[in-house]
Amino acid sequence: MGIIRFLNRLSLRNKIVIGISAIVIIFGVLSALFASRIAGSAMLEEIKKRGRVMSLGLAARIADPMLALDFLRLKNMVDEVDESSDDIVYVFVQDKDGRVLSHSFKGGFPVNLKDANQAPPGAAEHIHLLEIDEGERVYDFAIPVTISHERLGTVRLGLSQKEAQAAVSRLLFIIFGASLGAGLLAIVLGTLYAGTVTRRLDILRKSAEEIVKGNLDVQTGPQLPRNCWDLKNCQQPECPAYGDTRRRCWYLSGTLCPECAAGGFEQKIKACQDCQVFWENSGDEVQGLAEDFDYMALSLRSYIASLKAAEANIARQQQVTKTIMEVNPDLVSLQDAGLRYQAVNPAFCQYFTLQERDIIGKTEAEIFPPDKADVFTAEDQEILRTGRPLSKEVLISKGNDKHWFHIVKVPVYDEDQIAGLLLTARDITAMKKFQEKLIQAVKMEELGKLAGGVAHEINTPLGIILGYAQMLIEDLPQDTESHEFLKIIEKQAQICRHIVADLLSFSRVSESRMAEMNLNQSIEEVLTLVRQIFRQNWVDVEVSLDPHIPPIRGDREKLNQVWLNLLNNAFESIGREGAIRLTSKLCPQGNHVLVTVADTGAGINDQDLEKIFEPFFSTKAPGMGTGLGLSVSFGIVREHQGKIFALSPAPAKFLGNADKHKGPGALFVVLLPVNWKKPVADACEDLAGFNMQDIRWATG
Amino acid sequence: MNNRLMKKSMSLPLVILWLWAVLFLAGCGEGEPIKKIDLSQREEVTVRGPENDITYAYLPQYAHTVSYERHHLVVDYLSRATGLAFRQVFPDTFDEHMNMVGRGLIDITFSKPFIYVKIADLYGARAFARIVEDKGKENFRGQIIVRADNQQIKTLTDIRGKRLIAVDPTSAGGFLYPWGLILEQGIRKEDLAEIAFAPGPGGKQEKVVMAVLSGKYDVGIIREGTLDIMAGKIDLNRIRVLAHSHWYPGWVYAARRGLDPGVVDKIRTALLELNADNPEHAAILKKAGFMAIVPARDEDFNPVRRLGQFVVTGEKP
Repeated sequence: MGIIRFLNRLSLRNKIVIGISAIVIIFGVLSALFASRIAGSAMLEEIKKRGRVMSLGLAARIADPMLALDFLRLKNMVDEVDESSDDIVYVFVQDKDGRVLSHSFKGGFPVNLKDANQAPPGAAEHIHLLEIDEGERVYDFAIPVTISHERLGTVRLGLSQKEAQAAVSRLLFIIFGASLGAGLLAIVLGTLYAGTVTRRLDILRKSAEEIVKGNLDVQTGPQLPRNCWDLKNCQQPECPAYGDTRRRCWYLSGTLCPECAAGGFEQKIKACQDCQVFWENSGDEVQGLAEDFDYMALSLRSYIASLKAAEANIARQQQVTKTIMEVNPDLVSLQDAGLRYQAVNPAFCQYFTLQERDIIGKTEAEIFPPDKADVFTAEDQEILRTGRPLSKEVLISKGNDKHWFHIVKVPVYDEDQIAGLLLTARDITAMKKFQEKLIQAVKMEELGKLAGGVAHEINTPLGIILGYAQMLIEDLPQDTESHEFLKIIEKQAQICRHIVADLLSFSRVSESRMAEMNLNQSIEEVLTLVRQIFRQNWVDVEVSLDPHIPPIRGDREKLNQVWLNLLNNAFESIGREGAIRLTSKLCPQGNHVLVTVADTGAGINDQDLEKIFEPFFSTKAPGMGTGLGLSVSFGIVREHQGKIFALSPAPAKFLGNADKHKGPGALFVVLLPVNWKKPVADACEDLAGFNMQDIRWATG
Repeated sequence: MNNRLMKKSMSLPLVILWLWAVLFLAGCGEGEPIKKIDLSQREEVTVRGPENDITYAYLPQYAHTVSYERHHLVVDYLSRATGLAFRQVFPDTFDEHMNMVGRGLIDITFSKPFIYVKIADLYGARAFARIVEDKGKENFRGQIIVRADNQQIKTLTDIRGKRLIAVDPTSAGGFLYPWGLILEQGIRKEDLAEIAFAPGPGGKQEKVVMAVLSGKYDVGIIREGTLDIMAGKIDLNRIRVLAHSHWYPGWVYAARRGLDPGVVDKIRTALLELNADNPEHAAILKKAGFMAIVPARDEDFNPVRRLGQFVVTGEKP
């Protein structure tokens, strides 16, 4: 395990060198063993063959001297063979009885050798390995000498194994030396080779590290000595490969060489196999890897750049959407097909006083009270089922707060399937109120016309009735009952005539005499009339008139009636003991004059407040009033292109010292233009203090 | 990328096979039995031939091994048939052979007629049997041959001025017998452009035939029967036999002077008993190149003596 761990820790370069060296050395050693074994046995065979050939040669030649018993020739032949080679230890000849005829030994023939090896009858030879001395081995060849298959004797030849062993040793030395040399060469070449591989791998690794660090601007592949445009004498700078030293042309699509194939990398690279540029500039796998790597880094960089651009675009769009959603005062929500909230805008959250996180992912049943939730869910499911959008106006009460909403629910489609619901709810309370006022104004207008019509028609017969009644009064004696009756008729007719005059006044049918007039003076005139009566009933009138009010255009008589009506109303509302405060003021812009009458009376309830300017509306007991006072005032103010409205209870600032009295009181405000030609665009400072929504406007 | 360098690696099975082969080879070859021999015990070699053996020699016409091959069966037969001890001896030359007969070292000599005549006349050897060669003829003769297409030589007299080749100066059939015939025609050595003898040992008769066939020599002298032996090697129609010599006796068995006549008799009897119809004898005869052995006397060789004299002196006795 230790060795494996050691090998694992080695650098790739060392691994390659060690691996190559180990393979070469192991194979060298094994080859040497193998070769020496083969060579040794081949050498041995060769030696045996040589011994056999020499023995056979001798056996063939020696028959003659054997037959002739020519011992000199025998001896010569034996010695000749013995001396022919250093590794021949001995030679001798035996006759068929085994007697030694001649031998090469000096100092007698070794007796034991005679029968040490014998060729059996019929055998062409017999070889036996003999150990003649300590460590010296001899191949003993016994070759029969025959003449036409007749055994004449035997030639015996001893061939030393030493020479064979020495030859094998020499061979072994050469092979081991060669293996060692090859091993050393392998280490040197392996080191060089490993260096070229690992150096480039190291560059690759560093490039990879740079990419991990985020630096995609890496150059891993080698710089080419000659680029494609050099090789091809290219004159097309518009080619994407032209001038690009970082990427190889075979990676680029749309290159302009006539040899280049169209299409993607797969199609292109096939055509490149025969291209001179590819042959010259493509390298081995490592270079290919480095070039792939560079190409990948560049592609990655452009991809990341486009991704970043897209991301920025999305972020911008998100910001726009978010802004729209957040700024939008309408309530907006998006629900999925399961009616769970996917998104809501801040207005929605604010209205329901919930956090966004409390809404998202929940259904209506989890957020709203059961009765409301049931209604909403039923609606939603109907939309999901039918795909028909819903549009409605509803009044939603939240405690005393009542709001009108225009609700629109539309289905959201995702590839022809309803994937959810989009709700928008707009608070239309203000619009609703405006609508109501418009309706009121129209109603008043129509009422005016009707009243004017009726009054006009009644006026003539009433004049006739009054005329004849007065004629009869003059004719009849004063103390008669008839005279008394006629007086009553005249009086009642006079009352009717006032009513008709009021009606005509309300409907502007009556004649107006518009002229420059002093508003404060007009108010003072009326006050002198009523102040005494009010004082008798413990009602104080506090007056604050603005001396800067310019003369205004108006009908003095009619405006007097307005002030009188307003003061009378205030007085009647108080009954006994109270205070009335009357002010006049020029608005800051100088376009309007403001007259307020505040009292500490019983005040006007909300329902009545809407109707007080209608004709014949009265809270007094029947017979106590005609109910035309305020409607006449309304008609006059309208005739003067002004506005009149009432508030109850009366704001304290308009009461001044009168505030000490009990009672909610009411405030009537009259706004009159100074110059009719200028539009009534500006609002008075004092009016700005009110919640304008709460003001019941009396004008259209 | 596909054409980039292929990764080459040695697979594990290959490595294992390699190791196995190495170990297998390393493990074998050590099983040879070794015999320990003490060389210190020495003796002097003495070769002693048996003194009383009857020595038998075949005229060293050929190498000793051939002589041995042809005659050792005859020698063995004689030992068995006579109960005497025989030993074949191998003189190196004709002269040595003749000398050994003269010195009594060869008891029984088997030689050709001219040599016999010499040893008979010089050393008193006496013929007692002679062989019948292959064709069942007791005598044999030589042939004078020319190439069949040789138009210049039609008769023996036409050989004047021509180149002649013969087997050997001592050869009976291969020179002397036909040469005698040529001398009879009045043609002398000087009349011929050249007289040559076949070179080297072995196959001398065949060499003469081949020399004539090749055209190097015009006339050739061979022993009768040679052409039959060569029937398979050459086209016999290309050779024309110009003339035959007279008939003369063939190879002869003779005993040295002084050999016990009883012994000679035993040997003659044994030799004469050899019968080609007996399979055992047939093998012996075949090996020796005989058909049979017949009795012979010295007188049978007188024509040879006369021819010898004629060839040497040029005078007809």
